[in-house]
Amino acid sequence: MNGEGAIQLNGKVETVFTSLLDPEVLKNCIMGCNELNKKEENVYVADLSVGVAAVKGKYDATIRLADMQPPNSYKLIVNGEGAPGFVDAEALIQLVPIDGENTELKYTYEAQVGGKVAAIGQRMLGGVAKLIIKDFFKKIKKELEKVNIAE
Amino acid sequence: MSYIGKPIKRIEDARLVSGEGTFIDDLSPLPNIHYAAILRSPHAHARIKKIHSEEAAKLPGVKGVITGEEVAALTRPFPVGVKAPVKYYPIAVDKVRFVGEAVAVVVAKDRYIAEDALTLIKVEYEALDPVVNIEDALSPESAVLHDEVGSNIVNHRFFNYGNVDDAFKNADHVISKKFSFPKVSATPVENYGVIANYTKSEGAYTIWSNFHGPFTLHSVMTAALKVPSNRLRIITPKDIGGSYGIKSGVFPYMVLMGVVSRILNLPVKWIEDRQENLMASSSGTDRVSWIEAAVKKDGTIIGLKMKYADNVGGYIRAPEPASLYRTHSNATGAYRIQNVEIEAIAVVTNKSPTGLIRGYGGPQHYFPLERMMQIISDEIGLDVIEVIRKNLITKEEFPYHTATGGIYDSGDYHKALNLALESIDYQGFKVRQKEAWKNGKYLGLGFACIVEPSGSNMGYITLALTPEERSKSLPKSGCSEGATVSIDPQGGISVRISTVPTGQGHETVAAQIVADALGVDPITIRVVAELDTLTSPWSVASGSYSSRFAPIGSSAVYQAAQKVKLKLLEIAKNQLNTTLDELVMDNGKVRMKKDPEQSISIKRLVGLAHWNTEGLPIGMEPGVHETAFFTLSAAKSPNEMDIVNGSVTYGFVFDAVEVEVDIDTGEVKILDYTTIHDAGKLLNPNIVEGQIMGGLAHGLGAAMYEELAYDDRGQFLTGSFMDYLCPTATEIPKVTIKHIETPSPLTPLGAKGLGEGNTMSAPVVIANAVTDALRPFHVSIDQLPLSPDRIWSKIHNENTVKI
Repeated sequence: MNGEGAIQLNGKVETVFTSLLDPEVLKNCIMGCNELNKKEENVYVADLSVGVAAVKGKYDATIRLADMQPPNSYKLIVNGEGAPGFVDAEALIQLVPIDGENTELKYTYEAQVGGKVAAIGQRMLGGVAKLIIKDFFKKIKKELEKVNIAE
Repeated sequence: MSYIGKPIKRIEDARLVSGEGTFIDDLSPLPNIHYAAILRSPHAHARIKKIHSEEAAKLPGVKGVITGEEVAALTRPFPVGVKAPVKYYPIAVDKVRFVGEAVAVVVAKDRYIAEDALTLIKVEYEALDPVVNIEDALSPESAVLHDEVGSNIVNHRFFNYGNVDDAFKNADHVISKKFSFPKVSATPVENYGVIANYTKSEGAYTIWSNFHGPFTLHSVMTAALKVPSNRLRIITPKDIGGSYGIKSGVFPYMVLMGVVSRILNLPVKWIEDRQENLMASSSGTDRVSWIEAAVKKDGTIIGLKMKYADNVGGYIRAPEPASLYRTHSNATGAYRIQNVEIEAIAVVTNKSPTGLIRGYGGPQHYFPLERMMQIISDEIGLDVIEVIRKNLITKEEFPYHTATGGIYDSGDYHKALNLALESIDYQGFKVRQKEAWKNGKYLGLGFACIVEPSGSNMGYITLALTPEERSKSLPKSGCSEGATVSIDPQGGISVRISTVPTGQGHETVAAQIVADALGVDPITIRVVAELDTLTSPWSVASGSYSSRFAPIGSSAVYQAAQKVKLKLLEIAKNQLNTTLDELVMDNGKVRMKKDPEQSISIKRLVGLAHWNTEGLPIGMEPGVHETAFFTLSAAKSPNEMDIVNGSVTYGFVFDAVEVEVDIDTGEVKILDYTTIHDAGKLLNPNIVEGQIMGGLAHGLGAAMYEELAYDDRGQFLTGSFMDYLCPTATEIPKVTIKHIETPSPLTPLGAKGLGEGNTMSAPVVIANAVTDALRPFHVSIDQLPLSPDRIWSKIHNENTVKI
């Protein structure tokens, strides 16, 4: 499964970039994220509850950030494992300044799922992925408003 | 009054429709039963680095968590009939080789706790490259699943009969094609179930399961469990909720739960759920076939070359690779083709393991063979019926010996074909079809001729070995089955069978046979179909498979009933002071032919055998309890030329199917399905009808809807009935069934098996009809299922024709 998209965010490139790496922000923005902790530099461990079709369950996820090019781009690598199966995803995130106030975020991703979630959920996966991404950016926008106000 | 051949209502049905059936999940044969749940691999191919089960074991109510290493320590890998050293245990050890493979078993005081505990187990995997497709598995470049084997080819045999080179030299046309058949399952309403108990004091396993044989697998299980054969007692429940072959694949779980019971010292029950059943139970093989025909310009087929590769999944397990050889004896179908070359290959890939399924090997075989009949007639410009007629074996040729060793016992194929053509108005269709094309409607008519083998010969499976390899062990042959007929001191008749019906109505037919033999009403007879390997009259070939009840199982019942009859007649002869040939048995009595007034009731005769033994003829044993075992000498072991008669009886099916294809949506609609059957003497036309409709629905599923689909990473994609589509009542078209009866000269009742024929014929006959409908687009179907997207792509992507 793969996909791509773009979204306009309210904030400077640097602000957006910093927010996207903030564990607290990530925790608030990732759907079903119960916990997210920094394990080491650019490595986070998270506890996610996600339902895809009839397959609901918890995933222990490791999130790695690679190829960091602050504030322009980075790669997000997610490996989640749990009772419903596993998810391996890789996303490339690029930030392009629109003006001093706004940033365009472009992303491409590739994901593989395995186990029950693939066997029963594959019909729904594309939709669920879109839902999670859309929800993430909606929440990120709100988080950025907070940051922008603070600044 | 004769009951055989009458459409008697099934005696099983009253209990089934009134909720009094007894299925495996209804059983609770022991106190203190605990419940198992199985953790399964989400990976297609991976090394197991570590299993962390501590948290799961700590959950209150959990009695233990068992992993592959512990099971392997108490078992041996299952034996299988090939030389490739594949180590197959009922649970993954070191490596997983398909999505859904068992990795750990949790046993708890109830199923809820057991399933909750599964989520607490963490497994560290190291993912490996998967092999998914047959053609990849054939390549030496593919990742090897079993290091001991060294490649993914686990069986490979070449066969040559007649003079194939000459045939191809003398041919006017040589036509070659490739076909792919999908991996399909059967979806019985009831899933697998096992209750296992190990008793240390006896060193014995007792296992209740909805397992229906073949009982060759009893020896496979005792080998794995390392116990003497009488230390594995298998008991089947009274009712089994369908199988269609699939439930023979429960045997690894029987061993697994047996060992788990032994380790935890508890009786253990495991009931499979639907997701597990679709993902990891059993299925037919997917197959790629390459077929080449040598044809004269008048349509006579003079030679065939076939190469096929079956995908047996992550492990080759018994009775595979039999799927490759089940149709070996009828490889040339209904046709007179004496020059045949066959190359048979079994490969392992990262898909679920395969096994018995209705039609076993037949749908895969007839798809290329019967597609070729249409392709050949198109290529040489003859009507397909003309080509079929020219090559069909004539009734004068029976018993017909095929090139590969099959002995077709009886038949009249031309009569069946003619009956079909009379039913459908073939010439009228051709006119309608042309008119319809002009109006943008795409009608097609397809045909298929199927020789339906039944009552398999134990020996055919050994074709997997070369004659040299076979000669190193004892030959295998026969198709033995047992039955017991007994009469208690008050005259109650009971029958015990070992054919383990899974819904086919064996109890009814057994009662009909015994009723006829003893001159009583079948309603008065009780038939016990539960099998118990310590008390039932069974043999190695017992069980429900290869449509063996009508030719073999029913014959064992017949033979046992005849023994009882003879004993009663002997007693009567003594009482009436006459000779055997003066006596007849009917209406609950034995009477003198010439003087019906002189008679004695069966009840009285039975009474003598039990209550008053001094009235018995001198030397006769008391009681009435007769067991008979039946086999046929036609079931011989393969010879050094690889000649084998793989089944004892061969029925015939001729299908004619009309479809309409919507070229805008790719949807196929079946307008009319006509099927002509010859299964010899029909034992119960009611049951016959049900069996034919069921087999047809199964074949229709493979043709149009069903596929256990995997992605290119070996991930399983059809784990629910929303993804794995089965035909339901609304998808079943109008079906016209007609019969001709050419009785088998081999079986005492003249009966042959049926119920698998349309599973073999439906996929190809529908493919032929769709190809016929789409002639204007030059579409040729070579792959199934015929899902709308596949048909649509065939019409619109592969052709430049503008619509």
